[in-house]
Amino acid sequence: MIYPLYLLYLIVYGFILTAALGLLASWVDRKVTARVQYRVGPPVLQPFIDIAKLLGKETLIPAGASRLPFLAAPVVGLAGVILVSTLLWVNDIYPEKSFLGDLIVVLYLLIIPSLTIILGGFASGNPLASLGASREMKLVLAYELPFVLAVLVPVIKSGFSISIGEILSFQAENGATALSLAGFLALIVVIMCMQAKLALVPFDIPEAETEIIGGPLIEYSGAALAVYRLMKNMLLCTLPFFVMILFMGGLRFDGIHLLYGVLKFIGLVALITVVRNTNPRLRIDQAVRFFWGPMTLLAVIAVELALLGW
Amino acid sequence: MKLNALLRSPWVFHLSTGSCNNCDIEVLDCLTPRFDIERFGMLLAGSIKHADVLLITGSCNRQSVERLKRLYEQVPKPCLVAAIGECALSRGMFIHSYNCPEPLDKIIPVDVYIPGCPPKPEAIIAGVVKLIERVKAKT
Amino acid sequence: MTREGVLNDIRERFQSDIIEVLDKSDKRVYIEIKPEAIVKIATHIFRNLGARFNIASGVDVRSHMEILYHFTIDEIGLVVSVRVKLDRSRPEIDSLAPSFEAANWIEREMHELLGIEFKGHPDMRRLLLSDEWPEGVYPLRQDYVEWDEKAIRDRGV
Repeated sequence: MIYPLYLLYLIVYGFILTAALGLLASWVDRKVTARVQYRVGPPVLQPFIDIAKLLGKETLIPAGASRLPFLAAPVVGLAGVILVSTLLWVNDIYPEKSFLGDLIVVLYLLIIPSLTIILGGFASGNPLASLGASREMKLVLAYELPFVLAVLVPVIKSGFSISIGEILSFQAENGATALSLAGFLALIVVIMCMQAKLALVPFDIPEAETEIIGGPLIEYSGAALAVYRLMKNMLLCTLPFFVMILFMGGLRFDGIHLLYGVLKFIGLVALITVVRNTNPRLRIDQAVRFFWGPMTLLAVIAVELALLGW
Repeated sequence: MKLNALLRSPWVFHLSTGSCNNCDIEVLDCLTPRFDIERFGMLLAGSIKHADVLLITGSCNRQSVERLKRLYEQVPKPCLVAAIGECALSRGMFIHSYNCPEPLDKIIPVDVYIPGCPPKPEAIIAGVVKLIERVKAKT
Repeated sequence: MTREGVLNDIRERFQSDIIEVLDKSDKRVYIEIKPEAIVKIATHIFRNLGARFNIASGVDVRSHMEILYHFTIDEIGLVVSVRVKLDRSRPEIDSLAPSFEAANWIEREMHELLGIEFKGHPDMRRLLLSDEWPEGVYPLRQDYVEWDEKAIRDRGV
């Protein structure tokens, strides 16, 4: 009897709401980039039209590709993102529905989109795609370490609880995690890792256009490419939302806090865009050194400060 | 309906079949922030499998005929083709050359011809916009 | 070495092989030599006078075929062009590719476009023309006739 309710959550919160917000966030990103470069940008519905156009083109499968992983990878990636979004939205709107350990589930499910890009790249049978996929693998290895360390900080600060609902209720009473010193340092680390997870400059190494012409997605066309693009745009809504829940108190629906929540979301997307426009692209060895060096050090310091109570 | 969506978000791919590179430089100028093509929804596609409009320059010499045919098969249809510059229209001054046997439109179907040697970026944008208007009027 | 020094050196050394020296301008000199002496003159200019082998150009003038080898001496800003006149019915000359590697590809190009034979070239393969081009047809000759009957040569207007 409760299954139709969960299906409703999945479709409405997980898919429709996240897709709409994600595509709008992607438009904000493109428009701000255009304005920064002193030109007019695309119209508001442009990301939606991109997806609609791609659904109308034919899907070509190269002869040397393995068919099942090639076609299944985008679908699995989209399913992972839908699951994560459902979990985050449901926990944000009804904090009493969260269960013990769902933070670990979210962290685990957030790796799935990157994994499916790697799988799709290797299934393409193209040497450039394999190169892009191997770079994505190295990038995932690099940023997962400081990401998990930095996520420990709100866990520690809210009394060693690993359920998102408890973290949210703790922040509702005691103020956002980012206002403490440890939380602020961890927020910096998480924003850098978020930039890498979204594969945006300075970390868009797997899809470096001038170097490897599209990276893992080089052989995708038509509906498969539409699903991949939708997955990436939905990540642009899910990841800032995750950061907001852990560090900034989530999206609360009472009165003025709704406006604050919306401003926080737009602020995070604008920060991503500004970082994207003002930085050159790193090489993969520089990126790995960046994440395993300064970022891990910062995350460890943040964890120590959180344990000391700061 | 799918052609309507394609016309509002045409992703361009630039292909040179043996040109002197002057037209290629002008096409590259077209994609810079000064002549902003993103307002039409156009993006530069990196891989040919993501392309909707092919911008072809250069007179096809014997070596590129075979490769051009193979590349045209790899573009997901529906797809539009724009021939840019005199050499792509009819081989221009190389019409009697020993290395260019056939003009471009005998090898693949061409939808719009943009003359000039090389055409200015404004002319290239005007040509692609005219193509979009004409295809929209036909459907 | 100055410009005069270079010219006097070449004139003294190869007096018997030089047919004519044309002082075209301050920066260019054309030296016409007999075809048999090309290897020793070219290696002397390349190694001892500090020159760089720039390019070679082949021309089919109707009475004969010419090859010009252009050497540049950068310190004094001089281009020395060594001209060789070949018989049009059987154009052949010694190859410079064993002496310096820079002449390898340009001789391949001259062979497949003009039909000049270079004796002693290590690797005479096709360079520029496509695989369907027939052997023995040289497009840059004055008496080249179109062999491809599927070619479209009118604009259709």
